[in-house]
Amino acid sequence: MKQRFISSAQIILQLALTTVGLTGQTYPGKPKIIRCRSLEKETFSCWWKPGSDGGLPNNYTLFYSKDSEEKIYECPDYLTSGPNSCYFDKNHTNPWTTYIITVMARNEIGSNSSDPQHVDITSIVQPDAPVNLSLETNTSANMSYLWAKWSPPPLADASSNLLVYHYELRLKPEEKEEWETVSVGMQTHYEVTSLQAGVKYVVQVRCILDLGEWSEWSSERSIQIPKERLPPEKPTIIKCRSPEKETFTCWWKPASDGGLLTNHTLLYSKEGEEKVYECPDYKTAGPNSCYFDKKHTSFWTIYNITVRATNEMGSNVSDPHYVDVTYIVQPDPPVNITLELKKSIKRKPYLVLTWSPPPLADVRSGWLTLEYELRLKPEEGEEWETIFVGQQTQCKMFSLNPGKRYIVQIHCKPDHHGLWSEWSPEMYIEIPTDFRVKDMVVWIIVGVLSSLICLIMSWIMIMKGYRMMAFILPPVPGPKIKGIDTHLLETGKSEELLSALGCHGFPPTSDCEELLIEYLEVEDSEDQQLMPSHDTPSKNTKIIHKETDSDSGRGSCDSPSLLPVKSREPRGLPSTLQTQDVRAKEKKGGKGSWETQCSASEQKMLPCNSESIKSCTWLAAQLPGNQAAMFAYHSTVEAFRITLNTTNVNPSPVLVGNEENRQSLYPIAETVYDDVEKISEMEYSKTDQTTVQVRQNQQNDKSPFLNPKLMDYVEVHKVRQDEEPTLLLKHKENSGKTKKSTIPGTSKEYTKVSTVVDHHILVLLPDQRTQNTPVSQEPVAETSQNPQDSQAEKSTGYSTTAPSDSRGDTSGSDYMDPSSFMPSFK
Amino acid sequence: METGLLLVTLLVSHMLLTKEGVTSMPICPNGSVNCQLTLEELFDRAVKLATYIHFLSSEIFNEFEERYAQGRGFIAKAVNSCHTASLTTPEDKEQAQQIHHEDLLNLILGVLRSWNDPLVHLASEVQRIKEAPETILWKAVEIEEQNKRLLEGMEKIVGRVQSGEVENEIYTPWDGLPSLQLADEDSRLFAFYNLLHCLRRDSHKIDNYLKVLKCRLIHDNNC
Repeated sequence: MKQRFISSAQIILQLALTTVGLTGQTYPGKPKIIRCRSLEKETFSCWWKPGSDGGLPNNYTLFYSKDSEEKIYECPDYLTSGPNSCYFDKNHTNPWTTYIITVMARNEIGSNSSDPQHVDITSIVQPDAPVNLSLETNTSANMSYLWAKWSPPPLADASSNLLVYHYELRLKPEEKEEWETVSVGMQTHYEVTSLQAGVKYVVQVRCILDLGEWSEWSSERSIQIPKERLPPEKPTIIKCRSPEKETFTCWWKPASDGGLLTNHTLLYSKEGEEKVYECPDYKTAGPNSCYFDKKHTSFWTIYNITVRATNEMGSNVSDPHYVDVTYIVQPDPPVNITLELKKSIKRKPYLVLTWSPPPLADVRSGWLTLEYELRLKPEEGEEWETIFVGQQTQCKMFSLNPGKRYIVQIHCKPDHHGLWSEWSPEMYIEIPTDFRVKDMVVWIIVGVLSSLICLIMSWIMIMKGYRMMAFILPPVPGPKIKGIDTHLLETGKSEELLSALGCHGFPPTSDCEELLIEYLEVEDSEDQQLMPSHDTPSKNTKIIHKETDSDSGRGSCDSPSLLPVKSREPRGLPSTLQTQDVRAKEKKGGKGSWETQCSASEQKMLPCNSESIKSCTWLAAQLPGNQAAMFAYHSTVEAFRITLNTTNVNPSPVLVGNEENRQSLYPIAETVYDDVEKISEMEYSKTDQTTVQVRQNQQNDKSPFLNPKLMDYVEVHKVRQDEEPTLLLKHKENSGKTKKSTIPGTSKEYTKVSTVVDHHILVLLPDQRTQNTPVSQEPVAETSQNPQDSQAEKSTGYSTTAPSDSRGDTSGSDYMDPSSFMPSFK
Repeated sequence: METGLLLVTLLVSHMLLTKEGVTSMPICPNGSVNCQLTLEELFDRAVKLATYIHFLSSEIFNEFEERYAQGRGFIAKAVNSCHTASLTTPEDKEQAQQIHHEDLLNLILGVLRSWNDPLVHLASEVQRIKEAPETILWKAVEIEEQNKRLLEGMEKIVGRVQSGEVENEIYTPWDGLPSLQLADEDSRLFAFYNLLHCLRRDSHKIDNYLKVLKCRLIHDNNC
């Protein structure tokens, strides 16, 4: 085959070269002698490699000469050693001669010769590799030997079999890289000792003549070295398991068998019996196992099980394994698992899982009771959710996420002891999404509808405007509440509170509100000025009359105190002059003591003078019909109060007068701030000092919601000249309870002189931002700068909320805002 | 809005309905002449109780083993030494199914009675174990009490089921008290171990037998 191929290739080559040769054919290239080799010192061969053929068919001729002769010979045998070679047989080989060899290539155009090669037979000897290597192991006395045998390389000439070879053997464990080489000598067999038991070895041999080179290594042979011959090691009982609480099986793991055929025997004894039995069935449960059928299975009995491994070298017994079959029940996984998606009434889908106990388990007889546990997770989820379901064989799963695919598995376990079965194969269920979408639609519709309704509602409200507002949020006239003591409210004694307010018609009737509203709407046209100054109280009557004439609407703008007046509650008031002396004792020594006195006085008491018309107006004029205006006068000093009452000259600048009724109560709250109060009180009693009393008048109507406050004013008492004038803020409150700071955070400056009383008391009016009568701004202003006052100023918000009401406020609907009024009348 | 209203209505009606359904069933239906628990109910209770007792027994055994028996090889010694071993009880399913139910009931009674005495002593002696945890102590007491209750219930069941006269009380005496009081700690602990081991076994037997009996007598072997 090979030759044919080569020749055909040559033909092709020649063809190709011929075509080339048409243009440039040339003589052949130089051949080269590659190698000369003798296998056995008696013959030899030489091989050469052709040079280029010059595009033409070449002929090769080998010539040789011997060093001893001049004559040139041609190769005796071109065939034996293959193409491009020359074989010198015994007859042409002389070990004592050096051969000079050349090869000449020739074609039509010319010839070319190789370089001459000098060949000494002895130096080119290399035998072939040994053959027929065979390996054998032998074990004796726990030692393993390896026998290797081989044959010398075959020769073409049988007569040369007398040659003597030296051999070398090498071996290694199969998996290793490094060879271990052993010099064998002239034998054609070798015994290797000190081998590793149980390892597979690879072996090769080579040979050499007494001169020349080593042969190639022979082909590989390998052999498994058997393990040592030992008695088997201890087997191990892995586990015993009963799948259905009726039979059971034990498995063991054999240990090393010592390289010998080993038999395993399972032996057991039962609790209460001396006898040792052998395993009844080695086959049913597979290799290395023992199956105990029903007859051989007892419960509530301890089995003592051992496994004995035996070979010809001996035997070994496993550790005993104590088994009570009751505790080794591990059932098969449940079967017939079905997943069903159902819809509840609410159209929410839920999952119904059903399953059956494993077929082997007889749960009907009650002999075996199984409990189940299932687990599930979304397909892409990481963590399982595990649910123990007890002995049921079905389970409903709610609240699964729609649109997800769930994986479900179930396993089971005997009720008391034993192990969980394997998990059943995974079951998949996809929770559809459409249910949720429907829900969403419903909710969206609901949302849109409700927002529509809201829109309509609000539109209507806007249309109706303020009336609506007023209706929904009825005006709560702030000032009216002024009289209420918050602490009193907190304590929850409403009766006290009400009585303090002199209100019998608590909660206000709707009439009040209506009146209020109307009233408020009326005013705004006039420019109001709070608190005129008045000289003498004696002129009150007149003033009152005038006030009556003046529009009742006016004052309201300025002062909330007018509002209260509106309510009609004449019944609560006696028609005649009424004097009330309500007095609340001071609660705490320190901070504030209150004394409340309500005095009712007739018009004559009203201190309004002509100048104070306006103030009178807003104080009194607003009182419609039968109303009684109440002025509560609080004074820390009783004596003072008495004075007030007895003398017709009412120090209070409150000009309230009820024209129609002629009945008015003047509640004057006098509050003394802080600790100074006490002092001032004392001082006052001594009548040594000049005191400026800031009084806050509250006009108390019966309706608690009507602002009882009239105004604040400051009285300056000058008792002694050499001393500095003191300023007392009198805060009028109806409730005698509060100990301290019932005054809201508002404060103001008292700059207007309202009245001079008793020649040494200067009544100051709070400063009105807008317009103050020139009179009021007068000298007293300075007096009012004394420390107490400034303290009052400091109180937060006092000045801010101040009296601005006088004007601008009146015009609007601001009557609702109590804060705007309150400060000015505190 | 309508939906909300509907929901509220549903809710209210549902509440009403539920409330109606809440009314408890009288134990004795009207008209029953002899008002007593049915056999099924008796068995239900007995099974629950037996299950509970076995649960406790397993727990107490496990706790004891974990605490006192590690590496002492008690299990090997514990073979064949339960005082109730002389009572021949069914050892597998077939035996349990073949034995007459009255015999089995009597066996259960016998086992329960046989434990009366040792349980009393167990509950007291266990207090003396060195550093006995509270969990072991209260379980011992609880088991003793529950065992008595179960015995009562079983006597009731036997009285109901038994056709003929009640057999003489069978039980096996227990003479293990001295072993629980041994001076040698190892021996004493083993005595406890063994007793608890036997308790676990017998309580499981009773639980298992009762379940078989219940399925056989009440559900006609089709639980």
